[in-house]
Amino acid sequence: MTKSDSYEMFVEMDNVDGDVKIKKKKKMKKKEKLESMKKEMDIDDHEITLEELEMRYSTSITKGLSSTFAQEVLERDGPNELKPPKGTPEYVKFARQLAGGLQCLMWVAAVICFIAFGIEISKGEISGYDDLYLAITLIAVVVVTGCFGYYQEFKSTNIIASFKNLVPQQALVIRDGQKNQINANLLVVGDLVEIKGGDRVPADIRVITSQGCKVDNSSLTGESEPQTRSPECTHESPLETRNIAFFSTTCLEGVATGVIINTGDRTIIGRIASLASGVGNEKTPIAIEIEHFVDIIAGLAIFFGFTFFVVAMFIGYAFLEAMIFFMAIVVAYVPEGLLATVTVCLSLTAKRLARKNCVVKNLEAVETLGSTSVICSDKTGTLTQNRMTVAHLWFDNMIHAADTTEDQSGQSFDQSSETWRALGRVASLCNRAVFKPNQETVPIPKLSIHELEDPLDLRYLLVMKGAPERILERCSTILIKGQELPLDEQWKEAFQTAYMDLGGLGERVLGFCHIYLNEKEFPRGYTFDTDEMNFTTSGLCFAGLISMIDPPRATVPDAVMKCRTAGIRVVMVTGDHPITARAIAANVGIISEGSETVEDIATRLRIPVEQVKKSDARACVINGGQLKDMTSDELDDALRNHPEMVFARTSPQQKLIIVESCQRLGSIVAVTGDGVNDSPALKKADIGIAMGIAGSDAAKNAADMILLDDNFASIVTGVEQGRLIFDNLKKSIAYTLTKNIPELTPYLIYITVSVPLPLGCITILFIELATDIFPSVSLAYEKAESDIMHLKPRNPRRDRLVNEALAVYSYFQIGAIQSFAGFTDYFTAMAQEGWFPLLCVGLRSQWEDVRLQDLQDSYGQEWTYSQRLYQEYTCYTVFFVSIEVCQIADVLIRKTRRLSAFQQGFFRNKVLVSAIVFQLCLGNLLCYCPGMPNIFNFMPIRVQWWFVPLPYGILIFVYDEIRKLAVRRHPGSWWDQELYY
Amino acid sequence: MPANKDGDGGWKSFLWNSEKKEFLGRTGCSWLKIFIFYVIFYGCLAGIFIGTIQAMLLTLSNYKPTYQDRVAPPGLSHTPRSEKAEISYSLSDEDTYRFLTKAMKELLEPYSEEKQTDENQFEDCGENPAIYKNRGELESDMGKRKACRFKKSWLGACSGEDPHFGFKDGKPCILVKLNRIVNFRPKAPANTSLPVNLQGKVQANLIPIHCSSKKEEDAGKIGEIKYHGMGSGFPLQYYPYYGKLLHPQYLQPLVAVQFVNITQNTDLRIECKVYGENIDYSEKDRYQGRFDLKLYVKS
Repeated sequence: MTKSDSYEMFVEMDNVDGDVKIKKKKKMKKKEKLESMKKEMDIDDHEITLEELEMRYSTSITKGLSSTFAQEVLERDGPNELKPPKGTPEYVKFARQLAGGLQCLMWVAAVICFIAFGIEISKGEISGYDDLYLAITLIAVVVVTGCFGYYQEFKSTNIIASFKNLVPQQALVIRDGQKNQINANLLVVGDLVEIKGGDRVPADIRVITSQGCKVDNSSLTGESEPQTRSPECTHESPLETRNIAFFSTTCLEGVATGVIINTGDRTIIGRIASLASGVGNEKTPIAIEIEHFVDIIAGLAIFFGFTFFVVAMFIGYAFLEAMIFFMAIVVAYVPEGLLATVTVCLSLTAKRLARKNCVVKNLEAVETLGSTSVICSDKTGTLTQNRMTVAHLWFDNMIHAADTTEDQSGQSFDQSSETWRALGRVASLCNRAVFKPNQETVPIPKLSIHELEDPLDLRYLLVMKGAPERILERCSTILIKGQELPLDEQWKEAFQTAYMDLGGLGERVLGFCHIYLNEKEFPRGYTFDTDEMNFTTSGLCFAGLISMIDPPRATVPDAVMKCRTAGIRVVMVTGDHPITARAIAANVGIISEGSETVEDIATRLRIPVEQVKKSDARACVINGGQLKDMTSDELDDALRNHPEMVFARTSPQQKLIIVESCQRLGSIVAVTGDGVNDSPALKKADIGIAMGIAGSDAAKNAADMILLDDNFASIVTGVEQGRLIFDNLKKSIAYTLTKNIPELTPYLIYITVSVPLPLGCITILFIELATDIFPSVSLAYEKAESDIMHLKPRNPRRDRLVNEALAVYSYFQIGAIQSFAGFTDYFTAMAQEGWFPLLCVGLRSQWEDVRLQDLQDSYGQEWTYSQRLYQEYTCYTVFFVSIEVCQIADVLIRKTRRLSAFQQGFFRNKVLVSAIVFQLCLGNLLCYCPGMPNIFNFMPIRVQWWFVPLPYGILIFVYDEIRKLAVRRHPGSWWDQELYY
Repeated sequence: MPANKDGDGGWKSFLWNSEKKEFLGRTGCSWLKIFIFYVIFYGCLAGIFIGTIQAMLLTLSNYKPTYQDRVAPPGLSHTPRSEKAEISYSLSDEDTYRFLTKAMKELLEPYSEEKQTDENQFEDCGENPAIYKNRGELESDMGKRKACRFKKSWLGACSGEDPHFGFKDGKPCILVKLNRIVNFRPKAPANTSLPVNLQGKVQANLIPIHCSSKKEEDAGKIGEIKYHGMGSGFPLQYYPYYGKLLHPQYLQPLVAVQFVNITQNTDLRIECKVYGENIDYSEKDRYQGRFDLKLYVKS
């Protein structure tokens, strides 16, 4: 482990960041913010003497602040807590739900209805309240879907709120020379605090005194190993020096006191958190897709509406009539229920994921995971367990592998050797373990002396652990198979090889030795003095080496493998050292077996690194220092050339840069992480995934998705679900769009050919929002057609949610068939009641004349206006039924895009079957429930009119089966290109 | 597949991509193919559509409507038509009622004597209400049926001899007819179901009509109402109607309602109703078996 490539974390990251940002020359505000952060970073609190420190913060390193002064500072600086990121006000969120593209169109339609109604009233001719009803219905639709969307959003925000730790943290502070337990948020700069093992560090602290104090900085730097804190300044960088303990890190052992130098948002963690909130939230791919297609729909609706407005004016309709036509076309063409359907489909998947311990904050993130092509994963705590575990042991001149699984279920090594017993004893004694009460121990660093348990043996046992080479220096013998053998050159060489091997695995190696002290020299009751070292510390017996690593989680290698088969690249981005990072990467399969880095090739071929062709190396390990000197183009190149990448020693900003670089290359990037240092990258990523148990609050706040069980494998499930929902949304949208054509054509025919209106606006809304919602949602339950986990992730630029083929096929083919079905049924119902098709043409003005109470039909019968109106409602209902029947055929064909419906199975999707039954029941209820004619313009229609559209339904099914067959049989043919969506 | 249009190149190159010779994202050949496909597709669809409609029409009878549930029971319509359920005119100004009387003249045109001379098409059905005149089954091949003559003179003061139909004198006429419905035989009412002032006066084989004031307080203002026509109602020998094809010259019986002593310069709401066993009224349809209108005669 080379501590030499120590990282000047913020200094470097600001340089790189600055460079990139200057090149970009955008987001000036953000740059300034970063710039100001950089300045603030130049703290020297760790370098100055204690006296200067006392001066600076008007404090005393013995008595602390005075309570009154602390109060003043508190008022000046504010409480010591991280400000929660500014949320959008609730009413803005709600308003946003009401002001989408389609919603705006509906508002316009509603306003036109109101105007039409108003004009009618002012003219004094109230032919009916239809316009008013329609306006109210439209507004209700917008508001209800808005409320629904808002509720969904609200619910997911609530999940996050529950993560917040509500128990206030306590801190031991010394004020006025007295120790007090106060809430950590009341601490101020200059306060003298005391921390001990198990505490969370309450603020950034300059350590004044320390007794074996160690902190866990893993959430800040990604290092799993505990870091020693001591009063000396060891490095000019505040992050490297040992005399500063950071806010929200954990003190693992020992005790320390220190002066607070930064509180709240001004702490290092606070700055990273505010950096995270400064990073703009990326729009999710599905949001872009939906926006893309809503724009098209809205554009087309306005285009159609306007065209027919002009046509109507040209034909000679009054302005008001033409406006109403415009409104009706908008209502007919806009898929009102679509957004609700999409939301429900996504939330169903979110629920499914939640059952598998993936909680989604932002519904749209469900799909993002499916289109993810790169996963940038943090190492510590995400891929690994974040606890140092014995991985290998070297004794008896053999390297033994230990079981590193979380639940100790793996294979263990042979434990029969005597040496193992000795080594095990040494290892367990040189520990923080608690001993039996009357066991006298004299702790000195890494050395302890114990009485033996055997009452007959009066010797003391001295055990020692430490850096292997130091331990070896003190040894003269070595324990092999329980025998003490002299430590000759041969053994030393064996030791060196083992040490190098284990070190090369990225593991932290410790040496262990022991000696039984001579009972005469050191009888019972002998006072050991660690300062004077009045006992033997050389000529010991070497027991063995133990190497430790933060082992990968058991499920990770498999999950990484699955990601690879799914065409997803897993990149490791960690703050930890390159060797460790690489070892873990190799271990979990991020660097696959046989892959070499440039350096590996250089060593293998014994040529200088510069001569190696970069494209030969599959793998690449880049550390923060190298990254600092790379331009963004170079980084892009590196990401392009090496499929297997590991970034080590990276700062939070560098993680951000890596994510940005991947995004520049057109990838959809998922970032997984748990630490504070990951939070900016989590925010920047298309989807940020935080760990639920190990994850810090900052990471959880920045993430879009939280893995409650910290199981990386859940991501694979997420990817699968995301891909499935993308496919199913496609089907759902195709289903929903289809019926817009049979809804639109009646108006177009009505305007141009002047037949009595075949389908009313309110009926359309019933189709959109009542009968067809359930089937379109049920498509979300459809099983995948093929093994989606063996496909490449979709290309966000090419594989659109709604592509041309889908729209054309739905609109101009299936939709057209449905329109013909509707008109067949319409003309049947009209003809059977006495109005032959040819008579209908051009009938409109007479038909709608309120004064005309004796209009003659084809048989010469005279109809009053109301009779004609009810006949019109009958037509609405008949058209409605036709669309319903065709939509049943439609939902059956939408089950699959490529496979035959028979291959997929008709009854496997139970929800879909019940949706069809529900749709039929609802249709019947609307038709035959008494009172419907006058409320919703539905008439009880004759039974045979249900069956008129049936042949067209069968036609739709058969036609689509033929299409699928051709698509399957002749991939790449014209047919496939034009008709596969 | 035409490539994604918005992303690369923008609209101009989408409209005409000179490099690939693409118009709207497709080459000429591609357009031709897709055009032929849709011609065939829609050709087939239109064929199926026309075929089905033709087949459906074949199932229909030319003479007998398949269903009549929407048109029966019959409506009661009046001429002249009301504008927003109101007829108002000024005695002094002929322009205010010329179009009203014109509509009545048009209605009465087929009822003139000279048009009813053809013995092959018309026959006398008596001067008094009589039982239905059966002219065979609808579907039988008896060809066209004769129509009963209806003499304009029966309408008395409203027969058109006075070209102003009484409008000029403040005694306006309104012509009322029961809407035609093929094969419909209205049934005379049972005596008990009639309003008090009609009871006992009703003849057999007649659908009586009665007009009254809609509001009680206006009862006195309407004055006397005269009903002209055979038996002051719709006599049953004019039914059933055999439809446009079999009964081209059919004259439906008319009743002229004349308000001989109407109060002027007042809005009067009048409701006329016909009575019969198979004649219904509906809340929603104000012209089914009855109508109401506002009459305003300005002096």
